[in-house]
Amino acid sequence: MSKRKNWTLSIVGIVIVALFLFPVYWMIITAFKTQSEIFRTPPTFFPEKFQLDSFATVIEGGIGQYFLNSVIIAGCATIVVLLLAVPSAYGLARFKIKGVSSMMLVFLVTQMLPATVVLTPLFVVFNNLGLLNTYIAPVLATATLGVPFSVLLLRTFFMGIPKELEEAASIDGCGRLRAFLQVILPIALPSVMVCGAISFFFAWGDLIFSITFNRDQGLWPLTAGIFNAIGRYGIEWNNLMAFATISVLPVIIIFVSLQKHLVEGLVSGSVK
Amino acid sequence: MWKEFRSQFKGYLFVLPAVLFMLLLIGYPLIYNIVLSFQNVDLSNLATSDKQFVGFDNYKKVAGEEAFGISIGNTLIYTVGSVIFQVIIGFCLASFFSMKFKIAGFLRGIMMISWLIPMTVTALLFKFMMGSGEGIFNQMLLHAHLIDEPIGWLSSPEVALWSVIIANIWVGIPFNMLLLSTGLSSLPQDVYESASLDGANWWQRLIHITLPLLKPVLMVVLMLGFIYTFKVFDIVYVMTGGGPINSTEVLSTLAFRYSFSDFEFSLGAAVANVLFLILFAISLVYLRMMKKDEGI
Repeated sequence: MSKRKNWTLSIVGIVIVALFLFPVYWMIITAFKTQSEIFRTPPTFFPEKFQLDSFATVIEGGIGQYFLNSVIIAGCATIVVLLLAVPSAYGLARFKIKGVSSMMLVFLVTQMLPATVVLTPLFVVFNNLGLLNTYIAPVLATATLGVPFSVLLLRTFFMGIPKELEEAASIDGCGRLRAFLQVILPIALPSVMVCGAISFFFAWGDLIFSITFNRDQGLWPLTAGIFNAIGRYGIEWNNLMAFATISVLPVIIIFVSLQKHLVEGLVSGSVK
Repeated sequence: MWKEFRSQFKGYLFVLPAVLFMLLLIGYPLIYNIVLSFQNVDLSNLATSDKQFVGFDNYKKVAGEEAFGISIGNTLIYTVGSVIFQVIIGFCLASFFSMKFKIAGFLRGIMMISWLIPMTVTALLFKFMMGSGEGIFNQMLLHAHLIDEPIGWLSSPEVALWSVIIANIWVGIPFNMLLLSTGLSSLPQDVYESASLDGANWWQRLIHITLPLLKPVLMVVLMLGFIYTFKVFDIVYVMTGGGPINSTEVLSTLAFRYSFSDFEFSLGAAVANVLFLILFAISLVYLRMMKKDEGI
């Protein structure tokens, strides 16, 4: 490809991406605007004076607790997902056990189920077990989003690792579990991290489980906090956008740092 | 024999925890939801054992409500509208980014940001941009003289459904693009070379080579898009809450409203089951297709 064509395509590409991501830009830039500037016509595409008042307002308004709750819920859900999905994917990839295909089917189908279908029954069950208004309820419920995805993605990955590695380990006197932990897991680490990140995104984005299972606002994650803030801040859009920007920040940081692996993982995980 | 059993047993130990977890948290609720939909559970007898079976009463009651018919229609329009545009725009972008210029992969990856932003945030963002007076959408359209009066994106019942569809299209575009890019990159290049030699132009190559070869991938993308869009909740719930006057009510928001605003859990369960039945049927078709592809 000629150098000139490369340049032209790159510029067109950048314009497309810039247009596409305009909403994200608009969210961040609005957070820095003053209340009066938001309602100005024609709108300003760059704030006249960057003000941090909106961020101060939402921080004083208690976004810290929401943030902490999101970290706890998404973090714990991710740990639950990895503890369950990694061994399971390995087992499904390596052992000749009966019913592999039906178990795969279970994971595939559960991935397609709407939260609405399990919401009411889970509410009743959690109510009977006394788990409403605890972190446990949303952690368990959001983990069900990450488990099937991770099992399907990691199984494909484990099948690609040559069996000889474990055989060599077993000749050296390694048991199956030790071979898995010490030989296979380190190789799989990048894929495991992708699964972890995606499970974290799933749990970070949850609204429905959290607002249903927890009436106690002190346990709400950022998504529920935002939903609540719509009422509280009304048309103070700069405050709302500051709230939104803070909630998006962690996922964008994770995404940017893992971008290449994540994109590949997403493709193979969702088509499988 | 014993050895074989032992190795199998170890395999089950690896696999079972995740399977049990999913059966307990998804499988059991799924069945319980069916039971609930045939009982008369509301807030008064939720925690007691005083639950009566009422046959198809809940389904009859739900079917008699105007909102139910509207929400089925809305869910269909929402899904088909979203998926069609996501796939068409996704395909155009995938074709563009499959031209091999240096930063193509990087740019394509950056677009995934719209997919990973929590739906609640996206919904809020579009709600802001679609504000009737000060919203940037109306401002730009007015400024470009494309419209004379502000559009009531979320306040007018005729437009609101399309407004939530627009937001959802935005969310789904990169994912469709990503899947279609993978499909495009796996097409055999020699077919294109010989077609070029025969003098086929860009359009002819698209119609006679790319689309037919891409058909299996396109079908998977369409089916997955349908399945994932059909269960939409967050975007609609946050942007419009189902209003104005039911104009954006979809099956999942309706089920949620029955269960957690009216606390008529059995009615909510009945609506959720209708949603589930439709999705289940489509998933079966999808799974059949996948099996055919892999030749299992």
